[in-house]
Amino acid sequence: MDFLVNLLAIWARLYPSLVSGFAVTISVALAAIPLALLGALLLTPLRMWGGSIIHAVTGAYIEFMRNTPLLLQIYLIYFGLPLLGLYPSEFMCGVIGIAMQHAAFLAEIYRGGIESISQRQWDAARAMGMTWAKALRNVILPQAGLRILGPIGNQLIILVKDTSLVSAIGVVDLTMVGKVSIERLAVTLEIFLAIALIYLALTGVLGAVLRIIERRVLERIG
Amino acid sequence: MTPNVLINNLPYLLKGALVTLELSVVVLIAGNLLGLVIGIVATSVGRIGQSLITAYIFVLRGIPILVIMLLGYYAFPALGYRVPAYVAVGVAQIIYVSAFVAEIVRSAILSVPSGQIAAARSLGMRRFSILKEIVLPQATRIAIPPLLNNSLTAIKQTSYVSVVGVWELTYAAREVVERTLASFQIFLGVMAIYFIICYPLSLLARRWERRAAVVQ
Repeated sequence: MDFLVNLLAIWARLYPSLVSGFAVTISVALAAIPLALLGALLLTPLRMWGGSIIHAVTGAYIEFMRNTPLLLQIYLIYFGLPLLGLYPSEFMCGVIGIAMQHAAFLAEIYRGGIESISQRQWDAARAMGMTWAKALRNVILPQAGLRILGPIGNQLIILVKDTSLVSAIGVVDLTMVGKVSIERLAVTLEIFLAIALIYLALTGVLGAVLRIIERRVLERIG
Repeated sequence: MTPNVLINNLPYLLKGALVTLELSVVVLIAGNLLGLVIGIVATSVGRIGQSLITAYIFVLRGIPILVIMLLGYYAFPALGYRVPAYVAVGVAQIIYVSAFVAEIVRSAILSVPSGQIAAARSLGMRRFSILKEIVLPQATRIAIPPLLNNSLTAIKQTSYVSVVGVWELTYAAREVVERTLASFQIFLGVMAIYFIICYPLSLLARRWERRAAVVQ
């Protein structure tokens, strides 16, 4: 009981900084998600239908992003860009790094979705006199889109968890608030318990919302 | 922008790479084994056991690894145990990986049609031999591609231990960059080292994915 009272007292004192850290975490996620989704939208056609050079370059980019740690990608941007005379904020560096990696993962999901539609669908659409572009837009993409809703949702949840890495370059997000508060309040476990619970609530709610959206969409058109 | 800085510091960085490899091997073996046991147990215990395991998986998968590591890092001293930092974060990484493995194993086992199990039981097979001869061989084929991808993620996220001050490849890279200010050469070089470690696993995962697709 003492522990519980103590815990709540600490959490009450933490409340303002938790709120501001949470706001920063959400901002990083909200900035990175559209960038990642759009970046993947740009990468996918280049990877699938670009000429051999473009195909190789986008392939190399995707593989490099998928096979190196996000932390180093963020470091490269944060410590590298100043050498080129560019000084984006820590926040921007974090957002760009997260968006660049997740765009690569999302591009693979998009491609997998499109490739999962049978070649016979293409053939049938073309046999009906559709142009290649029309077959893609009216036949292939709607079906591929439905199939990749789930994987995209999973990737976005990973993205939200990855926002915690911006704390490594000094952005005061939820994770950083935890580290800073340890020095200020001289307690440890109680703080990170609160931080962990907030992340859990965030990803739990996001997961539930994404599942509801997926089910709604599938019911309406699937 | 000469690569000299990278070449001069390569021996130091490779020492870091060795620590990263050791850490990865320990985390992968322990994390996969623990997750495998939890995943199999999840499909063969009563309702209370199942909800406990579901909670374990849900909680761990919903929290960033960095936060789990910091929790582990501070939990040991708070509970009165004095352990070195690399042990604390290593344990945290193993537990984190195990949750993902358990979920993959559990859903792979559950994807085997229950009619097959009923059929095997009606033939008089024992529970253990049903698991061994009917369920696991099919579940393995389903589970291998996601397990390989999960191992890939696990190797990459060993780099996060540098954030709490454990010395390995990423920490070594930051030291060298602070000393030489050659951020592009050093970070790109270190990323190339990670790429060399990760890419073969990536290719293996893709091959198994294709094989699984053909079987279906």
